Amino acid sequence: MIEISNLSKVYGKKFSLTIPTLAINKNELVGLVGNNGAGKTTLLSLMLDLIPATNGFVKSKGMAVSKSEDWKNYTGSYLNERFLIPYLTPTEFFEFIGGLHGKNASDIALFLKENEAFFKEDAYDKTYIRDLSAGNKNKVGILAAILPKPEILILDEPFANLDPSSQLWLKSKLKELNNNGVTIVVSSHDLKHVTEICSRILILDNGKLVKDIPTNSNSLKELENYFNVSSI
Amino acid sequence: MRQLIVHYWKEKVRSPFWQKSIFLNILLGFVAIYLILNFIALSLFADKILLNAYPNQSVIFSFSKILFYYFLLDIVFRFFMQQLPVISIQPYLTLPIRKRTLLHFPLIRSVFSFFNLLGLVLIIPFFIKVIASTETVSYSLCWLITVISLIFINNFINFFLKKSFSKKPLVVIVLVALIGLLLFMDVTGTVSISIVFANFLSNVSLSGFWVLVPLATLFFFYYLAYALLKNNAYIESPENKVNANIGKFRTLSNKGVIGSLIGSELKLILRNKRPKSVLYLSAFFLLYGFIFYNELYLDKIYMLAFVGLFVTSALAIIYYQYVFSWESSFFDTFLVQKISANNFVASKYYLFALMCTVSYLITLPYAFINYKIAIVNTAMFLFNVGISSIIIFYSGTFSVSFIDLGKSQFMNYQGTGAHHFIMMIPLFGLPLLIIWLFDSFGMKDYGIYALGIIGALAIIFHKYCINFVSHQLVRQKYRMACGFRE
Repeated sequence: MIEISNLSKVYGKKFSLTIPTLAINKNELVGLVGNNGAGKTTLLSLMLDLIPATNGFVKSKGMAVSKSEDWKNYTGSYLNERFLIPYLTPTEFFEFIGGLHGKNASDIALFLKENEAFFKEDAYDKTYIRDLSAGNKNKVGILAAILPKPEILILDEPFANLDPSSQLWLKSKLKELNNNGVTIVVSSHDLKHVTEICSRILILDNGKLVKDIPTNSNSLKELENYFNVSSI
Repeated sequence: MRQLIVHYWKEKVRSPFWQKSIFLNILLGFVAIYLILNFIALSLFADKILLNAYPNQSVIFSFSKILFYYFLLDIVFRFFMQQLPVISIQPYLTLPIRKRTLLHFPLIRSVFSFFNLLGLVLIIPFFIKVIASTETVSYSLCWLITVISLIFINNFINFFLKKSFSKKPLVVIVLVALIGLLLFMDVTGTVSISIVFANFLSNVSLSGFWVLVPLATLFFFYYLAYALLKNNAYIESPENKVNANIGKFRTLSNKGVIGSLIGSELKLILRNKRPKSVLYLSAFFLLYGFIFYNELYLDKIYMLAFVGLFVTSALAIIYYQYVFSWESSFFDTFLVQKISANNFVASKYYLFALMCTVSYLITLPYAFINYKIAIVNTAMFLFNVGISSIIIFYSGTFSVSFIDLGKSQFMNYQGTGAHHFIMMIPLFGLPLLIIWLFDSFGMKDYGIYALGIIGALAIIFHKYCINFVSHQLVRQKYRMACGFRE
């Protein structure tokens, strides 16, 4: 589904991300972990063509994302607040995004009803997104990413700022989507969340892919050991 | 307190805007120096000028009258242009710094504003040359204290006006109208407050004791501003920001991607402070015609074309000079969503055309002054929609600086870059060049027709023009997005 070859991104002399090769297959649920500054967001931004690669390319369904815009039709994503239009209300924003994918107001109302447990839209229907709390912005962004029923879902730190029940909800939602065939890439600092839901875990350190392991019952221990050692 | 000053300085110097647009800052610096020099010269020669104009009055008396006008206008200009020094108070609130210090700091900082400096350079040369050399020491001292107090009273009144009225445009209009009325009555001589003011000034200076009145007033207004800041020193809770302004433009989203983009942009204009204040500002440009449409200029085709260019596109040109920067805080949305560059540019093109049409229709009645205006403005309208739009959009793809939608437009140069100045060359130069070409062949009026025809052709082939801009946008998108993220 997503292929990376010879990808590198250089920022000045201090930081560079290099990934010689990586393939993410259809229906995988990939967790991306790494300490601050490891290059998680850089990698996700390259997958979404938000920044130009210094070398190499990311291919989605066999097409380079920097060349063709087809990936936008089937990719849902939320990295940060800059993906939200601050002066719209959540409902207007969902309608805007939905409209781009040919969904009408009643489709969207139905979608919001289904996901009411996560984000109670009517409580905020008179508030602009810019006035929402960080957690609620995050929720709006995540819902807008899954609203168009994407085949690929890319989320950066989706569990950050979420309350406990929303975290649980999101975990089961991601599993459910994955069971329905959606390919998912999530980054997170929470090793527990990642080992619970992901089928494959990638560890980035200082711009390099240092581990690529399938999840099993020992994964959490393994990860904890890894991060313990590298921090000392 | 010293730490606060250091932080304030760092905030200014380290702001990405200051570091990036050195060019703009130098330009502003020159304007400032030019103004100051002018004021000094005016002040130095005020005695001669005033003696010529009012030979029967004492020079000090006439000068005092002028000062009255100055102070009134000063308030208006300050209201629109002076930026109050705001140090973001939030990080300091929980630190062991006394709240009083935090509140006094911006007030004292405002004393060193450019407007106060302007007032001082207007007064001090005159004071030294005329008053200090002819009057007694006590008179001079009292005069100086009173006048300087008045300058700073204006300074603190402005705090009060800005804090309480900046969100209510109606009050601002009433205020400006009131000051206008005062000035009007004074000039026509119906009720002359300036004479009262001048008498007051001379009496205060003579008595000596009464100088306490302006000083007390100054402290009163300082205290008022302080109290106001104190009331605002709590972090606002977002729950209060509920609005009822929803559900508009929903029909637009049924018109496909371009429709919903236009709807979103209209909301951007109406729901954010800075674009909204651009709207108010451009309304002033519509009035340009009253200044230029008179016998002096009606025969000058260049001038007519220039004014025509401006009044038929006032809204569009001023708003769209920041064409892609308005979306800077969420530009990434457009990069990852299913929106093609072409549709994105097209939505802006149609809205540009709509804005031009609105200002064209509003300014059409100028034709009652002279029929020529209708012809020129129609040609310039077509030219604006067809050509100016493309020039502005193309230039917009060079913008890399972030715009905060929540700030006011007045004296706000955030988002302005060198490309804005370069853009003006073709924007104003091209139409004038075309007229000049025809003019040099002795066919002055045909230049105007040519502009109209060029504009109409560009409108007919607007798909190609939009394509041209969207290709450029795709080329520039990484650079723009990278700049906007900072």
